[in-house]
Amino acid sequence: MTLRKPQHLTLGRLFNHLALLVLVLLWILPTIGLLVSSFRDKDQLTYSGWWTALSTSEQNAWGRTGKAEDQIEKSGNYVISGTILEPGEKTILTFNTNFRNLSAYKSGETMIFKDDSHFTLQADGKYEWVSQKHFTHKRGKRIFYVANVPPSFSLDNYREVLASENVGQSFVNTFTVTIPATIIPIMIAAFAAYAFAWMEFPGRQFLFVCVVGLLVVPLQMSLIPLLTMYNKIGTFFGTEAKSYLGIWLAHTGFGLPLAIYLLRNYMGSLPRDIIESARIDGASHFQIFTRLVLPLSIPALASFCIFQFLWVWNDLLVALVFLGKQDNQIVLTSKLRELLGSRGDNWEILTSSAFISIVVPLLVFFALQRYFVRGLVTGSVK
Amino acid sequence: MLEQLLNALLAVFLGVGACTLYYVGSNFILDQVFADSGENAVRNSRQRAAIRPWLFLAPALLILSIYLVYPVLETLRLSFYNFGGFEFVGLKNYIWATKNPEFLQAIGNNFMWLIVVPTLSVAFGLAVAVLADKLWWGTIAKSLIFMPMAISFVGASVIWKFVYDYRGPDTDQIGSLNAFVMMFGFEPQAWITLPFWNNYFLMVILVWIQTGFAMVIFSAALRGIPEATLEAARIDGASEIQIFFKIMIPQIMGTIMVVWTTITIIVLKVFDIVLAMTNGQWNTDVLANLMFDWMFRGGGDSGRGSIVALMIMMAVIPIMFWNIHNFRKEEEAR
Amino acid sequence: MKYFMNAMKGALLAVVATALISVPAMAGEYKGPSLSGQTVTISGPWLTADEESFEAVIAYFEKATGAKVEYAGSDSFEQQIVIDIKAGSPPNLAAFPQPGLAANMAAIGGLVPLGSSTANWVKSNYAAGQSWVDLGTYPSKSGKKEFYGFFFNVNVKSLVWYSPENFEAGGYSVPNTMEELIALSDQIVKDGGTPWCIGLGSGDATGWPATDWVEDLMLRTQPPSVYDGWVTNDVKFNDPRVVAAIETFGKFAKNSKYVDGGMAAVGSTDFRDSPKGLFTVPPRCYMHRQASFIPAFFPKRVKVGEDADFFYFPSYSTKKLGNPVLGGGTLLAMAKDSKATREFIKYLQHPKSHEIWMARAGFLTPHKGVDLSKYSSGTLRKQGEILQNATTFRFDGSDLMPGAIGAGAFWSQMVYYVSGASAKKVADNVQSTWDSIK
Repeated sequence: MTLRKPQHLTLGRLFNHLALLVLVLLWILPTIGLLVSSFRDKDQLTYSGWWTALSTSEQNAWGRTGKAEDQIEKSGNYVISGTILEPGEKTILTFNTNFRNLSAYKSGETMIFKDDSHFTLQADGKYEWVSQKHFTHKRGKRIFYVANVPPSFSLDNYREVLASENVGQSFVNTFTVTIPATIIPIMIAAFAAYAFAWMEFPGRQFLFVCVVGLLVVPLQMSLIPLLTMYNKIGTFFGTEAKSYLGIWLAHTGFGLPLAIYLLRNYMGSLPRDIIESARIDGASHFQIFTRLVLPLSIPALASFCIFQFLWVWNDLLVALVFLGKQDNQIVLTSKLRELLGSRGDNWEILTSSAFISIVVPLLVFFALQRYFVRGLVTGSVK
Repeated sequence: MLEQLLNALLAVFLGVGACTLYYVGSNFILDQVFADSGENAVRNSRQRAAIRPWLFLAPALLILSIYLVYPVLETLRLSFYNFGGFEFVGLKNYIWATKNPEFLQAIGNNFMWLIVVPTLSVAFGLAVAVLADKLWWGTIAKSLIFMPMAISFVGASVIWKFVYDYRGPDTDQIGSLNAFVMMFGFEPQAWITLPFWNNYFLMVILVWIQTGFAMVIFSAALRGIPEATLEAARIDGASEIQIFFKIMIPQIMGTIMVVWTTITIIVLKVFDIVLAMTNGQWNTDVLANLMFDWMFRGGGDSGRGSIVALMIMMAVIPIMFWNIHNFRKEEEAR
Repeated sequence: MKYFMNAMKGALLAVVATALISVPAMAGEYKGPSLSGQTVTISGPWLTADEESFEAVIAYFEKATGAKVEYAGSDSFEQQIVIDIKAGSPPNLAAFPQPGLAANMAAIGGLVPLGSSTANWVKSNYAAGQSWVDLGTYPSKSGKKEFYGFFFNVNVKSLVWYSPENFEAGGYSVPNTMEELIALSDQIVKDGGTPWCIGLGSGDATGWPATDWVEDLMLRTQPPSVYDGWVTNDVKFNDPRVVAAIETFGKFAKNSKYVDGGMAAVGSTDFRDSPKGLFTVPPRCYMHRQASFIPAFFPKRVKVGEDADFFYFPSYSTKKLGNPVLGGGTLLAMAKDSKATREFIKYLQHPKSHEIWMARAGFLTPHKGVDLSKYSSGTLRKQGEILQNATTFRFDGSDLMPGAIGAGAFWSQMVYYVSGASAKKVADNVQSTWDSIK
């Protein structure tokens, strides 16, 4: 038994920590931008950078005074009062009725309009507009101001997405598509990968290289031929062309090359002696595969599982083509795209839906990555 | 809802069950038919060994033929037909491709992508896998690097829109890069429109995503290196850097090559990023985006789309040769 | 809002006038035959608010006939419909936002003709009806021209949006001629402001707003016959008249003093973010030329008619080409025939189906039999009137050109143009692409 060296902080380890920290920060910075944006107000998103949301910033804006019909008579004068701020935590610094010179009047001061009426605006947005003559204007007057806006975050964007119709159902639909489309390819690929790695047969090299070549087939070229085929089968058997079974098989097909490639590589790198000694002991390939190689390949199986799950979960195009848009079939990605509107302008939906959609794949990642455990191989050598 | 989930689980059981039934069953039958005892024992053993691989391979080969090989053949056929796929036009599409400047430029751009992205993704992925391996917060670090992969292309394009965005020089910028650049007193730029460099800004996005992929696979592979080997080296006085270059890398060289190949092929296929950020404008077009354009824009021209697709698929041939070469080397080493 | 009669368009005028007089007073409610048990599937680009409006239109039909109508909206409609038609699983009806795409589908045999009686109905019942028939007529797979496209939900494009209060604050008045518009822009620059917000960004459709500008300018610098020839390539894309129109657009977009953010921002600013510059404090621009659907992208607080309004994108007083109107619209085409589908088309001929959507936002119609008071706002009514009274009305050119041009080369070359290329070069590029698809 070797004793582990005590893990004290050497220069080497410090460098280790620092290097990793720098990389991680670089990587998450763009995503943090999106995360912050997802808590911001829709219009603010397009006016100012996301970092401004983290601290108090100055903002130019405008509000409207009341209309003439809001006036009341008070001790011989006509008064319109109210607040030009929407409820919030803004505090007004300066204001004017002319946007070219916003700092003309500080909050609390009184401005005199051309018609001799007096207008006072307080920092909290409350104003009082006093005139000796009767007000006759129809529209409220625009007041421009500079205000301090403290950081404000809201869950509105998330609420908007999660409360939209059928989002829950689309989650379920996506699971319905993803789970079988992840498990079935793994089974089929594992067997094929073992055959390529450890079994002898003619054309082994050529076939394997063809499989690798199939990795490159662009998905888009397959869509129309396959859907046409499904439609023909559908009319022949009288079944629906767009069904879950169809999309499971399609995802299996699209995912097999990568699966076989990765798994074969891993299985092939297992120590030859293990396999040899098992053969000498009289085990058939089938037994070696199921009892020996498969358990040892769990790290590779787990990593492919993550990717396939991820890819199917985030897929939009294949789901659009092979599955319908009815409530019991529409997947999450499609649902979220629909929320963007006919002209795709709701940025706040994009930001929040990106994070809603990412939760499940991340959970899968966490769940599976603990299978990357060292020692499975060394253990079995003994 | 519940019914649907149950249906899905049922499908999983049935699917797994059907597969199990097939694999176990077929192997069992094989063992029975070509029995291990009796007069033909030796010949049977050879028969079994000859047939069994195909039992293992059959489902995979069947599915691959339907879902990938058939479309390839169909693509080949369509390349000789007109835009609607119903009129034979011979080599007209091929001739168009060789003369079309967009096509040629896309090839040039792809070339740059193919060199830069796999190299950087593999380098960063390896670095993170090794660095995170030993630290207590390694898992957290790995999941943060992995997150871009999980976030889907749509999310990624919005994220980077917020990074590269450009407003006029005298207005507030909402793009992080411009804000960063202005902190040092430089003028903001419309990054994705800058000639030549805009390609690299787009490549950054794919590297950002693919590093997670490389890292996950390398993580798994590194775990396969016996701890005993590493300890022995440390006892012998080797520094971590020496261990990295002289032990780790050679041990997982096969995996490095596999990841490199896979990412190279992904680069050939990726169009979502270019589509979402620039749609090929400002000379950033790549083959996959060009193909998507011709296949689906304005009713689609399947003849021209197919040519571009074939070009993409042909680019993989050198990779295939290289894999054959590695395959052979590996077999000899075993 | 003034609209002038162009004496040269006398013939068209006569048709319109006759039709106006002779339009039958339609019965108030739609009554359809019983179609219970039958289903009509429709796919289209309408989502969220638009989808709800269309669902309301559908619901009325379902109640009146007992049929079931399923609408599926998609933001990748243009790709989906191509796949579905080519693979043999089309919906009954498809709502095409571009006639060019519908024409492509007709050419591969993917659409079923609506027939000459429907065509005649459109001719008589839509303002400038013949134009709408022509816009929906395409060659079939055998080359014979058939009527495929029924227009439902159109928009007007020759509009300039502005903030009346900002104009008032600057002492500016609404220009009535192009010369006045240019003078106004110069005045704004002199006063230290920026007159225009122009943004071409639109994801994978980047560049399309510029095509609207060029089309509007073509209509204002050349007679409509030249426009029609341009759309069919009888007038080549690099004809000097087209190049001149592009250069006129350049006078607005490539003039860094005229446009918010300068020339470099034009190509990369998203068209949905661009109009927000009208409402910032201080305003980043004073005018934004865009179609009637743009208010959907104004900041939440902005009320159209109060905080924002539009004026007609004026024409040159010296050129005597009248006041042409550019517009666009969605057309419904039949991809799979059925009795219920045909009845649905008949339903769309009834004013009720239009009025349901008119009462919501985002809908205009050239149907002469609708009750204009059903429009949900004064602004929409104003736009509806423009449509109804159009004499020189032309459909968005890029939507009429073949897909590879109108939804491809034209867009991308416009982006190239605002990045610094010359108008001649850009026009040459588009023409060579057009030659290559012939």
